[in-house]
Amino acid sequence: MKILALVTDAFGGYGGIAQYNRDLLTALAGMGQQNRLIVLSRTGGSYSGDLPNNLVQEASIHNEIIYSFKSLWTLLTKGPFDMIYCGHIFMTPLAVVLSLLFRIPFWVCIYGIDAWQKPSRLVEWSIRIASLVVSISRHTRRKFLSWSDVDPHRVRVLPCTVDKKFTPGPKPADLIKKYGLEGKKVLLIISRLSSDEKYKGHDKIIEIMPALIKKYPDLVYVITGEGGDRERLQKLAEKYGMSEKVIFTGKIADEILPDIYRMADVFVMPSTGEGFGVVFLEAVACGLQVIGGNQDGSTDALLDGEGGWIVDPESLDEIKKVIIETLDHSKVRTAKANRFYKQNFNDLVSQLCDKFRECSHETP
Amino acid sequence: MCGVAAIYAYHYAALEVDREELRGIRDRMVRRGPDGCGEWFSTDQKIGLGHRRLSILDLSEKGAQPMSSADGTVVISFNGEIYNYQEIRKQLESEGYVFRSGTDTEVLIYLYQSKGEAMLRALRGMFALVIWDERQKKMFVARDPYGIKPLYYADDGWTVRIASSVKALLSSPKVSRLKEPAGIVSFFLLGSVLEPFTTYQEIRALPAGSFMWIDSIGPSIPVQYFSISSVFKEAQEKSGKINPREIPDRMREALLESVRYHFVSDVPVGIFLSSGVDSSCLLGLARQEGIKDIQTITLAFNEFKNTLDDESVLAEKVAGLYGSKHSTVWISRDQFKKEMSLFFDTMDQPSIDGMNTYLVSKIAREKGLKVALSGLGGDELFGGYPSFRDIPRWVSFMRPFHFLPGAGAAARYALQLAAPKSISPKFAGIAEYGGSYAGAYLLKRGLFMPWELEKILGKETAREGWKRLGLFKRLGRALTPDPRNDFFKVASLESSVYMRNQLLRDADWAGMAHSLEIRVPFVDAALLKKIAPLMISSAQKLSKRLLTESLSNPLPDNISARKKSGFQVPVGEWLSADQELRRCEDNARLAQSSAHWSRRWAYEVSEQLTEKI
Repeated sequence: MKILALVTDAFGGYGGIAQYNRDLLTALAGMGQQNRLIVLSRTGGSYSGDLPNNLVQEASIHNEIIYSFKSLWTLLTKGPFDMIYCGHIFMTPLAVVLSLLFRIPFWVCIYGIDAWQKPSRLVEWSIRIASLVVSISRHTRRKFLSWSDVDPHRVRVLPCTVDKKFTPGPKPADLIKKYGLEGKKVLLIISRLSSDEKYKGHDKIIEIMPALIKKYPDLVYVITGEGGDRERLQKLAEKYGMSEKVIFTGKIADEILPDIYRMADVFVMPSTGEGFGVVFLEAVACGLQVIGGNQDGSTDALLDGEGGWIVDPESLDEIKKVIIETLDHSKVRTAKANRFYKQNFNDLVSQLCDKFRECSHETP
Repeated sequence: MCGVAAIYAYHYAALEVDREELRGIRDRMVRRGPDGCGEWFSTDQKIGLGHRRLSILDLSEKGAQPMSSADGTVVISFNGEIYNYQEIRKQLESEGYVFRSGTDTEVLIYLYQSKGEAMLRALRGMFALVIWDERQKKMFVARDPYGIKPLYYADDGWTVRIASSVKALLSSPKVSRLKEPAGIVSFFLLGSVLEPFTTYQEIRALPAGSFMWIDSIGPSIPVQYFSISSVFKEAQEKSGKINPREIPDRMREALLESVRYHFVSDVPVGIFLSSGVDSSCLLGLARQEGIKDIQTITLAFNEFKNTLDDESVLAEKVAGLYGSKHSTVWISRDQFKKEMSLFFDTMDQPSIDGMNTYLVSKIAREKGLKVALSGLGGDELFGGYPSFRDIPRWVSFMRPFHFLPGAGAAARYALQLAAPKSISPKFAGIAEYGGSYAGAYLLKRGLFMPWELEKILGKETAREGWKRLGLFKRLGRALTPDPRNDFFKVASLESSVYMRNQLLRDADWAGMAHSLEIRVPFVDAALLKKIAPLMISSAQKLSKRLLTESLSNPLPDNISARKKSGFQVPVGEWLSADQELRRCEDNARLAQSSAHWSRRWAYEVSEQLTEKI
């Protein structure tokens, strides 16, 4: 099968969507050497890791008109293709034009808030043409189906997966020393700190830190990531007198990410806008207690409370209570989290490909 | 009757089945099956089947469900009756299958093992079934051709939950309560919810005459194995000219066969008797078939005394003619009021009808019956509704508007402005909708018209619901393949829309409310296949005469020629008299004296069933 992948970012990208695209495209490439994938990305830098042999990622093109022509050119010159993989709902109008021009079925992935609200009529119409819609979580699927009249049988859930490098381990001495965490209890959050993602719940943890400090004087809150929201959060920490207790690590290289998790005790992200929250899986895989919200896709990552703690993200009292509980008890709810490992993910991608072929004949 | 429940955590990420959740869904259906209950769980705990039993065939414990094959590879939970199970059993026995019980359920298990999904074509009856196939690691879910028995499912993307009723699924906290505007709009347009929609977004009906496979990536798109219009089309294509002299005998034979099958039971079977042709013929045919000691029941209302709507007098005459054990039961407004709470509690999806069936089922059960036959479906089969006359006429007159874009809508605006308020709002839509079968059908059966919805439901729900419902596309499907002649077009619409979504649903939940199984001999795919060619070849006008002439002991003329009535309930009078039921008057449109009672009743039902719309 020859696949043209239209993505915002994938290899060399940063954040959850890029990671999801990498995992999914790698799984598609891994289904057989006869598969060929050409990836066209809009953003993302160069990628230093190994790409699958049968996958080529072309240099990213930010300008959408040039990107569209590039897609068209690729289909004309490197075809024939069997599938268009559309890595973002906002790219469906382009995917549908290409799909209709070249009579190639397409599948589209939907993630989080991008698919929760009704989009423009053009996007709404375009997505109806997709043979398969793959949602990152049950929550996103439900939200999507509340405004889209795509047949629910063509909307499947493929959750994030977690890499094998995320395993439990001793607290890394170098990082503990670097951030001054010796003898401290550590709450952790990892995100892009984008000013568009204020829903992740950093504010709430900073706000309850003074109360938590009374019970755990050695508690610190480590915020990892780098983005436009950092300054605002630093000011907020100052406002609550927590500048010393809230530590910003900045952006962390992928290689040391497992150690960042290992230096913490509890990963807490009472978010209201997660499509899924792959960071929860990574944290659980590294042996942390994990706390997430109950109003978004976090419930999938936390297996409805069997794989972590679920709280009402709007209730500061509840968040505080559960943080105390997790700090007091070290028993981690990880037993069922291994179902998110790569093998299951890859198997499902293979089954979805079969379903895609089946649905391609039935698409309205 | 009986209630089916299942949970299949098909996705690798899904948690194992919560046993209490399955029991909760199952036991919300205790009225469907008060005689027993059972459950089965797979070894990996990813699949659970539940069942509530109303024992009709093989009353022993051997009939308990969920039932497994002898080798344990097939497990079934099934609701309904297979009337030809004895013939199928003989066939399977000749293939070497060994049976442990006298039930139709066990026949289904081995028929599935023998034929797989092709089993459905061999079945005569009403059914909704869930089969777990351990060898294929797949779940097979199916519904009878007409959709007599209901089956709903809620798929959240990881786990699918299945039950015989929407309310049973809602007993699970894991099923979303998010409203489906298409279901709500459907109710206000047609008085019932058009499948596959329900009033909840996540809960869908498996369409009638369809089956569906569920595997490790979830439910597949349902596959339709039967449609009424295709039977009509096939009959026209295949049947040669039948000798007109043979028609009455063949018609009689087909009707008697259906009645005979519908009496297959290990408990007594009664008949709901109105003074109409259909139920009277049922009784006559049953007696002709040699069935004795039949109990018949008729409802009567003081409000109808000495009017044409009073069923009691003529029904008693019919009962006397055929010698049934007859009861006429008088129902008062006070009894109606007393029943309101249970009535709405047992109404599964909003419906503007059902009170008649609810009350007669209650009486039937109180008189010791577990099974009763209804004449439901006779009008759809033999053209008993005025729609068979009106719709083809409207379509013929209004067709020019159908081909002039905008002309129908312009005519509607003009008529809305010009027509007096006392005239039905449907009148304004005659030019816009009257030119097509689907449009004319909406005018005929419509409760509210599309342009009225915004005032009742608000702009957002009305527009979104109308769009998602795609009403004309769905009505068009009932006419695909094209049944070709006018009669069959209307018959296809009435059977696939009104009967399926309103009458059969009401017969199911209202019978269930009193643990009574309602059987419908005129709603039978095998019967339809047999008589469709006769109807085509019949020289006489298609009408109930084909039915009445099948009786060896004919009905008196004042019954066979009686204008259509059939189990009326004076809800309009009760609504007007009762202060508690006048909430509809909060709505200016419904407060108008010209508002039809059915519109007011729809408002009451929606208030009771759909929380806040």
